Amino acid sequence: MNKRSHSIAFWAGVAVFLVAVLSMTQIVRNEYPFFAGYVILQFIALAVAWTILGGYAGYVNFGTNAFFGVGVYTAVALFKATGAPLVVQIAAAAVVGMLLGFGVGLLTLRMRGIFFSIATIALAIIIETFVMNWRFVGGAAGIQLQRPPVMAPFDSYVKMLFFVQAILVVIAVGIARYIQNSRMGRGLQALRDDELAAECTGVPTLKLKLVACMISGALMSAVGAPAAMYLQYADPSSAFNLTYSVSALAMSLIGGTAHWIGPVLGAILLGSTQQFLAVTISSEVNVLVLGIMLVLFVVGAPKGIIGLLRPRYRLRAGGKQ
Amino acid sequence: MKRRTFLGGAMAVAVVGHGSSALAQQPPIKIGMSMPQTGGLAGGGKASLLGIEIWRDDINAKGGLLGRKVELVVYDDKSSASETPAIYAKLVDVDKVDLLFAPYATVPTAPIMPFVKQRGLLLMGNFSFQVNSKVGHDMWFNNAPWGPADSWAASFLDLAQKAGGKNMALLTADQEFAQNLALTARDVAKKRNIPVVFDQVYPPNTVEFASIIRALKAAKPDIVYVASYPPDSAGILRAVNEIGIGDDVKIFGGGMVGLQFAAVMSNLGSLLNGVVNYNTWLPEKSMYFDGTKEFFDKYTKRAIEAKVDPLGYYLAPFGYAMGEMVAAAVNSTKSLDQKGIAKYLRENEHKTIVGPIAFAADGERKETATLQAQFRGVKDKDIEQFRSSGKQVILFPDKLKTGDLISPFEAARK
Repeated sequence: MNKRSHSIAFWAGVAVFLVAVLSMTQIVRNEYPFFAGYVILQFIALAVAWTILGGYAGYVNFGTNAFFGVGVYTAVALFKATGAPLVVQIAAAAVVGMLLGFGVGLLTLRMRGIFFSIATIALAIIIETFVMNWRFVGGAAGIQLQRPPVMAPFDSYVKMLFFVQAILVVIAVGIARYIQNSRMGRGLQALRDDELAAECTGVPTLKLKLVACMISGALMSAVGAPAAMYLQYADPSSAFNLTYSVSALAMSLIGGTAHWIGPVLGAILLGSTQQFLAVTISSEVNVLVLGIMLVLFVVGAPKGIIGLLRPRYRLRAGGKQ
Repeated sequence: MKRRTFLGGAMAVAVVGHGSSALAQQPPIKIGMSMPQTGGLAGGGKASLLGIEIWRDDINAKGGLLGRKVELVVYDDKSSASETPAIYAKLVDVDKVDLLFAPYATVPTAPIMPFVKQRGLLLMGNFSFQVNSKVGHDMWFNNAPWGPADSWAASFLDLAQKAGGKNMALLTADQEFAQNLALTARDVAKKRNIPVVFDQVYPPNTVEFASIIRALKAAKPDIVYVASYPPDSAGILRAVNEIGIGDDVKIFGGGMVGLQFAAVMSNLGSLLNGVVNYNTWLPEKSMYFDGTKEFFDKYTKRAIEAKVDPLGYYLAPFGYAMGEMVAAAVNSTKSLDQKGIAKYLRENEHKTIVGPIAFAADGERKETATLQAQFRGVKDKDIEQFRSSGKQVILFPDKLKTGDLISPFEAARK
């Protein structure tokens, strides 16, 4: 298939997905699938957002929880101050996330490898401490929120959030796919393989990394914003939970980071397993199962699911042709 | 074909197993809940669950509820607020449970309050703090003895003022529960014109308290109110032991989480002496009601196997009491109608193994039954000593009181 028919197939797939999600909200009456589905969609979007910097550029970001939490608290602050609607909360969170990505990127992207990762962990701790001491949004004690009435055509707020999260997934995947196929994606791939060589051949490495960090940050914060309305409660330890970082990273690695479909597959697999285990085994064992899954994938499929499925991607991911 | 044979066999076994008892004829009454079984709240969550399981076994041994067996449906919420909405949606929409219990603690409970209000469901609270104050759900009943929000600080300051305390130092962890306590403590102090001479909030996971305790000592307070979490509670007491706190201090403690758990208590040993701290149940003679002793006999045996707190005073009997209250309401109304059960719970006083319980309009206790007790004569490295009375003398509330405050703090430490 050529590039154009690829695009048509992709956007047709997106349209089918959104129509399916929308009709699901209209037909299915039981609310549980929406609660569980929302969480899975949230992780798909987070994992895809993480891959833009962590996969394409190879800069392992442990600060997903920082961006996610910033999204949650931007929404909380805005909702409490002005009662802004959900769309505005998400847009504002994206802007704040982008600015944070810019600031953080400027400060830390000159560091490489493990040092960059450590700096991103520190970021989460700093912001969490700040929010803990910000009484307007509840501080350490957390804050309970009352949802506004739901909008048509949805009959429950959770169904609406499910649909909104599906749109965020589409936006995240659309952006990731665009970057991957663009000049920027090739630049990121070059700097991941050898940053010095890339710089020498004229790739503007810092600029590219910065843009990737901003886009990734904006998406993560946007994904965090509806979580405030999903939980109708926000507290720093839940909003800045390290689980978000670990899960986003694990999902991308399990799926494979060289192609946007990798984190999508990884998040669907790991996210549904988590949701399934939470209501079946439901004890310490479920943490163990996830741990074993990770180890198996790291040992058996270092390039993730896409590496297993399509040798073509394995070549790409290895950077050799 | 094979599957059908297997199913048939299984059903036959089930029927024969139960014989002709009434329990087998009707489907069980399902009570659904999430419980922190992993993560930071797991220690408390497991002990609380064991209390509820002991109630289930007791009630089933007596023939169940309305002639039906009681079954618990429990999922792990990993101590996180983000897990509980999906879990409770599953309990209600997929498992179709008949009644809901809340998970242990405030954070996992907070997100399900709007959900149960929206659906008009009864929720039995499990040790969360003021989680209904903003939601205003009229079918919420908390098993914890907290009572009105300010009573916690008020009872401690009552004791302090009686002992001659005139100004206060506040030392609080920057975490949800401790900050809630600190807020009410500041309010109560303001109302009573007690100046706050020292007000320090420290980040969670602080281990070194020497400098904070030195600064606190320099402020020369009469009353020291501490709201801390288990690791910091230990760190604070160690620092106080090394540095001392000054002869002015009349009373020390109040809201230190951790000093209710066997592992922490036996670890700290004699460092505990003199501390006045909140508690929920203690083995003092005023705390035994109908069935209390029998409950702890069972708990002590099962705690070893379940690997939970060997003493289990703090949470487990209240899990049992939660079941007792629901059982009384279901038996009296002879139905599982949640509105009817809620009405019964609101309008009556309930006899439980932790004493009589009556609810105010907000679903919290009408009167606080949160104990303030002083550690006395505690030796090092001995868990069993905490099973005998006299190690934690109850100073408040008056009707449960078993002794008077020894003050100042330095004198009580000896």
